[in-house]
This record gives sequence, C-alpha cells and structure tokens, in this order.
Amino acid sequence: MLEIVEALSLGLLFGWSLHKAGLTHYARIVNVYRLRDMTVMRFMLTALVVGGVAIQAGIDLGLAPFAPIPPTSILANVVGGAVFGVGMATAGYCPGTIVAEAGEGRLDAWIAGLSGLLVGALAFGVAQPVIMPTLARVGALGRVTFASLAGASPWLVLLVFAQVVALVLILVARVGRRPT
Amino acid sequence: MCELIAMSARFPVTDRGVRDSRRTKWLPLLAAVGLTLLERPAHAQCASNASTCVSCHETQGVRPGSQTEQPWHVDHGFGDLCASCHAGDPASPARELAHLGMRQPLAAPESPCVGCHTDESSALAERYLAAAATTAPSASPTPSPTEQRATPSTGATASSTADKVLAALAAVLTIALYLALRRTLPGERRSLGAWLRAKAWSPYSAGGLLGLVVAFSEVVYGRPLAASGAFDKLAAYVGRWLFPSSQYYGHIMTPGITWQVWIVIGVLAGSFASSKLSGEARRRWLPDTQWEPRFGGSRKRRLAIAFSGAVLVQFGAGIAGGCTSGLAISGGAALAPAAFLFMAGMFAGGIPAAWLWYRGRAG
Repeated sequence: MLEIVEALSLGLLFGWSLHKAGLTHYARIVNVYRLRDMTVMRFMLTALVVGGVAIQAGIDLGLAPFAPIPPTSILANVVGGAVFGVGMATAGYCPGTIVAEAGEGRLDAWIAGLSGLLVGALAFGVAQPVIMPTLARVGALGRVTFASLAGASPWLVLLVFAQVVALVLILVARVGRRPT
Repeated sequence: MCELIAMSARFPVTDRGVRDSRRTKWLPLLAAVGLTLLERPAHAQCASNASTCVSCHETQGVRPGSQTEQPWHVDHGFGDLCASCHAGDPASPARELAHLGMRQPLAAPESPCVGCHTDESSALAERYLAAAATTAPSASPTPSPTEQRATPSTGATASSTADKVLAALAAVLTIALYLALRRTLPGERRSLGAWLRAKAWSPYSAGGLLGLVVAFSEVVYGRPLAASGAFDKLAAYVGRWLFPSSQYYGHIMTPGITWQVWIVIGVLAGSFASSKLSGEARRRWLPDTQWEPRFGGSRKRRLAIAFSGAVLVQFGAGIAGGCTSGLAISGGAALAPAAFLFMAGMFAGGIPAAWLWYRGRAG
C-alpha cells in the first residue's frame, strides 16, 4: 500500500514537471529534431545535472550504497535510440509524454498513443529473442559509468559534465531565439 | 576488504535505518493523503527491474559476471537472469540471505539449464563444461576471499579530500549560478498559487524539479524513474497469453502491476493536476499548433501517424533498454554511457525523420 502511494507521488511530480515544461505539445517535441525549439533539451539537460549532483550527494551522505545503472551495450543503445528518435519525430511522443498528454485530455494520446505503446511492447517481446542476443552483445560494457570506466571521481566527472551542459545550453539558447 | 565489510554492514543496518528515517520526513505528507501506513514487506515484492544480484555484482562491481568472457555469462547477459542458474534469493538486499541456497551451476549444469532450455539442455551443458575445462582456473566457481575483491568498484565509494573540495566547489558554484541567473530571469515575484497555476514554467525550473525527483527515486528507492517499462509489464499479460512458451514472457518480462505501472498512473494524475490548474485540460483530437498546416484536420490521419510513432518509440525503448525518462534521464544522471549513446541515437534517427516529414516547408 505504501509502495503504491510512494510510486504515485513520484509519478505525480514527474507528470507535473512534464506538463509545466510544455512537453505535452506535438510541436515542442518534433521541433527539437528540426533544431527549432530547444525547450526539451533545456529541460532534460537541467534534469540530468541536478539529478546527477543530487544522486552523488545522496550516495556520499550514505543514504544509498549506489544508484541503479543501466547496462551499456553500444549497438543496442544507439540502434534503439535511432528507432526511438524516428518514432518521436513522427508522432511527437515519447512514452512519458504520451501519458502526460493523456492527462491533459488529448484523445489522440488516449486512443493511438497508449495502444501504440502496448503494441510496440508486444512487437518487441516477439522480436527480442531474435534480435537482442546479437544486438546486446556488440560493445557490451555492462553496468558501467563514465567514472568507473575512467577510474575517476564521480564528482570530477559531474563537474565537467555540468560545464559541458552549461556550454551546450548557452549555444542552444541562440537556436531557440531563431524565429519560427 | 574493508569495502566488502562496509557493504555487508551497510545493507542490513545503515541502509535500512536511513531509509526509514528518511521516510519519517514524508510521513506528514503521506498522512495528509489519508492512508494507513502498513509496514512494507522488505524489498521482495518490489518488482524493480534489477535483482539484488545485479545491484551488488554488476552495479557495484563486486565480481561482475557480465565482464567475464565465460560463455555462460556472455550468453545470458541480455537479461537479469543470475538466479535462474545460481539460485539464491535475488530479491533480498542482505548479503547472507541473498546467497542462501545458492547452487554451483557447473557442478551439475544440466539441472539449471533445463528450467528454460527444455529440449537442448544437455547439449548446452556439454558445451559449457567443455568451455569450463579450457578456461580452468580463473573460471573456478569457488573463488578465494581475496579474489572476491579483485575488481572493486571505482568511484562509487571513493571520497577523498579532493572529492570533498570539489563537492564544496560545486555547491558554491550552484549558488553563484543561481544568483547570476536570477537577475536575467523575468523579475516579478509570483505567489505560490500563481506559480502552481502557471501555464508553463521555465524549462530550467521544471527540469530541476524532475532532476530532484529522479535522484529521490534512485537514492531512496533504488529504482530509475521510468515510463516505458510499465507498458512492457502491461503488454506482457497479452504476450504471455499469446505466446505461452515464450522465454521472454516466462522469465524476463513477466506481467504485473508493478511500481513502474503506478509511476505511470501518477504521471497521468500529475499532468491532469497541472493542466487543470492552468486551465489547459480539455478534450481535443489534434495538436494545438503546427499539425494542421502540415497534415490537415483529419482525425484518422492523426491517429494513424500517432499510433505508428508510439509503436516505434516503445520498440526502440525495448532495444535500447529504456526510454527518455528511464534511460536518458535516470541513467544519464547516474553518468552511464548508455544514456548518452541513446541520446545520440535519438538525434541520429529523429533529425532525418523530421526532415522527411517537413522537407521543403518553412513552418
């Protein structure tokens, strides 16, 4: 019971931030790929830096022994990302924003979006035994981080990462001002 | 050695203790929701994506199986399958309990294989035994205690003086950046109500909030904040019914109303709350801008294109191992290369696709 309330609360804040960032708009998502509206980039990169610092702080304070780390397999990550990007640029959706759009009352998300996600999940379930053993093995590094790969302090990696993000965001701010 | 001791000590005592004390801070909030607090039965029911095998051995790097060349580890690296062969309790966070009842798969290799590979178990077992014989000493299933700490996790627990200085520097920089940026932001101060009712926040504020939520989810609950996994879990109900012999639905993606599903229901509620307060919640079929000039006002057309896009998005997330939230943001915040490779792939696929849809058009 408590677990459900906890998950719902996290999801609530997640959905809230998606909506307040304006990610429930088709044009917002698609125009990232047309390099015309970088709101999504600003939103995501800020979340990455804030989240990265907060996670590392939490670990250093002893609140958790480690953070969950997704496995890196170079080919699967890139190919999956490319298929994902094609879908995102086509529909203006990603799984989280489909749900957020549904919450805002968009019927295309309720009818086509949610059913599309379920069909996509089924299609992957069928394809998984065929494609994944090959895809997941090319460049499989396991559950690594940049810090563990380089043997560096995660704080140093975070600092450099934050600086790169700040630079990207400053450059991106110019793109965002281009009249559409 | 100290690291191992620290880990085993931390799991049963400090970690749980801290989690509980963290939770007490949230009690007023949860009480306000008006629900009785029931003691959670350990982590066993959590249906998190990662077993505790993976958490310690792979994430923390204590003798990771995925980094070996042993063919049985390579062949099964596509899923969180440790317990299928090694047994033990993959849900227990306590080291002693998790290792209780473990078996040595190579001692009688056919019995662990037959759980999934009904027809070919003896052939597989022979192949693995042959491989085990050639790679002998390093592949020994019973390592000495010194071998156990052969690959300590770099970084995860490193906390030197330099790190502390960097941490302090980062904190100071954060404040300095905030002070510097505050002047450039539109100055008017808004009341809390106006802030909650705003149609949109600066993407930096909304992103900052999401970053904190992601960190809270990872640090306190040990789980990424993911959206796509919920749909895999829900589709698995149909998948297991359609393909009863599928190993994917039988062992890797078992159906369930899990943590991730509740997260997604929360997203629905959060977006509804935000849009209701800002007056943006209303039923509509088409995107507000840009769609109609390009694709026209047909609902069917929107549904068809939206559906195909959603299928591709979920399929791609399956291949990559997560979506924008679970892989790019949650994994990226944990500094995993997987997240950045995924984002590079997103642009590599999305830019040509957007160009194809909009080529020769200005709007």
